[in-house]
Amino acid sequence: MSDPALAQPLPGQRATLRSRWLAYALAIAVIVILPFVFTDTYWRTNLTVCAINVLLAIGLDFILGYAGQLNLGHSAFYGLGAYVSTLLIVKLGIPFWIAFVAGVAFAGIAGTFLSLFAVRLRGHYLAIASLGFAVIVHQILLNWISLTQGPLGIYGIAPPPAIIIGGVVIADFRNLAAFFYLVAGFAFLSYILLNQLVRSPIGETLTAIREDEVSAASLGINGAAWKVFAFGVGSAVAGAAGCFYASFVGTLVPDAFFVSEAFNILAMVIVGGMGTLIGPVFGAILLTVLPEVLRGFGDLRLVVYGAALTFVVLFMPGGLAQAARVVAEKLGLRRSA
Amino acid sequence: MKALRTLFVSAAAVGLLATAAQAQDKTIKIGALFPMSGPGSYFGAQDKQGVELALEQLNKAGVNGYKFVVQYEDSSCSPLPATQAAKRLIEQFKPDVIIGEECSDATLAVMPVVEQAKVPLLNAGSSSIKVTEPGNPWTFRIMPNEVMQGINLAENASKRMKAETAVLLFENTNAGIGNAQVFKENFTKQGGKVLAEIGFGRDVNDFTAIATRVAGLGKVDVIPTYTLEGQGLKITQALAQAGVTKGGGGNAIQIGTIWLPFGFEQKAGKAALGYIRIVQFDPTDTRDVAKNFASAFKAKYNAEPTHLNAHAYDQIMLIADVVKRGGKDAQSIRDGLAATKGYSGVTGSVEFDKTNQNTKMDTIHYMETKPDMSWTSLKWN
Amino acid sequence: MTTTIVLQQAINGVVLGSLYVLVALGLTLIYGVLVQINFAHADFVTLGAFAAYFFMHLVGGGYILSIAVAFAVGAALGWLINAAIFTPLRRKGNELLPLIATIGVSVMMQNLMLAWFGPIPYAFETQYSSEVIRFAGIFVSWQSVIIIIVSILTIALLYAFMKFTFLGKALRAVAQDRETAGLMGINPNYLIMLTFVIASALAGMGGAMLAPVLVLTPFAGTSVIVKAFAIVIIGGFGNVEGTILAGLIVGLIESYTTQFLDPGLIDIVVFALLLVMLAIKPTGLISERREENV
Repeated sequence: MSDPALAQPLPGQRATLRSRWLAYALAIAVIVILPFVFTDTYWRTNLTVCAINVLLAIGLDFILGYAGQLNLGHSAFYGLGAYVSTLLIVKLGIPFWIAFVAGVAFAGIAGTFLSLFAVRLRGHYLAIASLGFAVIVHQILLNWISLTQGPLGIYGIAPPPAIIIGGVVIADFRNLAAFFYLVAGFAFLSYILLNQLVRSPIGETLTAIREDEVSAASLGINGAAWKVFAFGVGSAVAGAAGCFYASFVGTLVPDAFFVSEAFNILAMVIVGGMGTLIGPVFGAILLTVLPEVLRGFGDLRLVVYGAALTFVVLFMPGGLAQAARVVAEKLGLRRSA
Repeated sequence: MKALRTLFVSAAAVGLLATAAQAQDKTIKIGALFPMSGPGSYFGAQDKQGVELALEQLNKAGVNGYKFVVQYEDSSCSPLPATQAAKRLIEQFKPDVIIGEECSDATLAVMPVVEQAKVPLLNAGSSSIKVTEPGNPWTFRIMPNEVMQGINLAENASKRMKAETAVLLFENTNAGIGNAQVFKENFTKQGGKVLAEIGFGRDVNDFTAIATRVAGLGKVDVIPTYTLEGQGLKITQALAQAGVTKGGGGNAIQIGTIWLPFGFEQKAGKAALGYIRIVQFDPTDTRDVAKNFASAFKAKYNAEPTHLNAHAYDQIMLIADVVKRGGKDAQSIRDGLAATKGYSGVTGSVEFDKTNQNTKMDTIHYMETKPDMSWTSLKWN
Repeated sequence: MTTTIVLQQAINGVVLGSLYVLVALGLTLIYGVLVQINFAHADFVTLGAFAAYFFMHLVGGGYILSIAVAFAVGAALGWLINAAIFTPLRRKGNELLPLIATIGVSVMMQNLMLAWFGPIPYAFETQYSSEVIRFAGIFVSWQSVIIIIVSILTIALLYAFMKFTFLGKALRAVAQDRETAGLMGINPNYLIMLTFVIASALAGMGGAMLAPVLVLTPFAGTSVIVKAFAIVIIGGFGNVEGTILAGLIVGLIESYTTQFLDPGLIDIVVFALLLVMLAIKPTGLISERREENV
């Protein structure tokens, strides 16, 4: 725990601070360049899907890796964000960005509720409760046809309205590159937000709770409140991903939020490296791109997907983050801890 | 003199051969968006069979000097994978025409993509009215849509079968719900009464409870059933076990549309007795085009063709017909499709109305299951 | 008429419930001894069904024998998964990793089966599935009768095994307190392997019994697995009597929801019940194990 009396960062910390800003600058540069490298609509679509999946993965990692909550139902918040924002726009004519905030808030509140409900549950019980929640949400989306259109689907969802300042079109989101910048930019900001939370005293509190809740309680930490907070934040992020998904694909059907989607997101977090935040970013990118690249394999590409998940867990449970660390140590870039 | 003549003739011959060889290099590129993975891969596999048979026959001699090349992409019967597959197809293969998808959700998602790319989409599997109703100039459908089928079925149920009561059984999907609604509207318009509308998810395995509920509803004349083969089998058996349908000693008759291929009876057994349904491919069809297709299919695959095979075959053959009439690229193929008149395919005739929907009613064939499990064609159209 | 319908739906519910119990029993056994969830359990059921199908159609064997084949296939697979996944991961002591590994195995199995068997539903017919017994306006297929009989026999045998044999008592000892059991000379690893094998064998056998009832595709298991988990929790993780009771309750819920409401609402009702149980009594209907931290 850092001593609040130390106002100045230590020399070692200053160096890490600098390298972090460097990494952020690099990330921004990569995001800006990508649509120029991939100029066809097929790959630009994939880039945006990657960005959406990154949002989902970091949100889940915050809940799973940092707050230690076994959430197997992340697809529920994804779906709630998508449907709430879309229905507000399509049925009530509410402007996009207000509907967006509503969708995010709704998903966050839903996550808070689930967490409050499950606050006494640990481990496998929470896992099944969250799974049950995801099934219920999916079934409600499917069966409440008068509200959600159910399997009939909602079509022709428009992209966010263009940003026009003083008569000049700054961004037209029918352009795939512009949409990618929007989602990637939002994902980037969310990452910074979550990263700051993790490095702040809040993050340390969560780690304490994750490692040993009983001892943390003896220090006066209200474990339950913090777990609920983490769940709310993580699910709000998933809600944002849902809003983007709906206006990107233009078509909304409940089956896009079937529970298997929750497992996909989980795979991204695990393969990337649970509890590292940066790992799931790469996990999401890898597991979005891999099925596309493996299209030639037909049915077998999903077998590869499942195999990847199994083998990562067996042989490298820290995922890509662990792999990167091992490589860095071997190359002498880092001293082993 | 003679030498000069020989030279001249040889040169001409080489020139002719060269032009002929160049002409043979002309290809029509057909993109195929079918579900190849996931639960819908059932459709994709059968579509591919139909396509391959058609290609084999066409490419022997080509049409107007053109050969046909097909590229398959997996659209997984779902909006996002379908749009990604469509984009990939258009970017990398640059087809002149695209056939697909099977599932209405996927087709609807793909339509804006092909419209923007100005490539015609020829559909034969999606029944949702939304595919053609808005009138997209780049989307064509040869299969009768749910409204055409539903109105016709309701009329026949009322008038020919003299049915007064009905119970709707349908899967909770776009196509299932859509079809059921159309039947209900039109059946009630004819004076019929719908006793219950029972929708179920694709994950339901046991239909005994549903069959029991139907049994408790009193006199049921017809049971319109909209579901795929796997669940359809269970429903038919359960209804017979509950003593509701003819196959189980009851009086109700199951009726339905296109979704259950020939071969269903062999699996369902006695329970399927009396089932009347609309099919897209009539295996007892006496027209030459249908008989030739059936025998060629049997020879190549050693199996009876289903409507999925027939649809895919028709899609390719229709495109070939358009090429014969002068189509050679996306725009001319689109125009050629729109202008189709008097074309006779395996599944029926083709002529598109102004929303590019095929309105020929002979694509709706009615079949009844006889006690020996064979089909008899009820020539109602 | 209405009493007949109510009675009929009760029978339907009990049959359905027995089906679920056959699948859920294995899950609860594994959880009881290993405190682990095997997500691929339902795929063992599917594989068992396919094993029985191919035994009957390729080798020409009889139905009853095919059940034994499925049992053996399940056992072999269980041994494999335990050796390859649970044993190495147990040393790491993380409760989440094995769960995720089994999710990966489930995805692999489903898609391998899809690649081998194809997506078209297989019609698994036996002489029992079409024959129906009728009395007093009620009907029951012979297949359903077999399912109920086999379920009862299995449960009885399992019970006897757990209560009266040495191995059974040893299993219960390991379930209650692994360390102390080890101190008493019981080899926990051997017993864990045994549990896994028995549970998976039950799953495989369940598959063969269910095959005539299921829509037999590689995804047949998924339609059952989530409900099976719900049953295991409602009944009480690791508790056999609870699982049976919960399975029957869920079966009855299904048939009565179908009758009086709508089949589409089944999942909502079942999972709402699950969440209610978790809220008021997370240890399940009947809790034998005393959990320190639930």
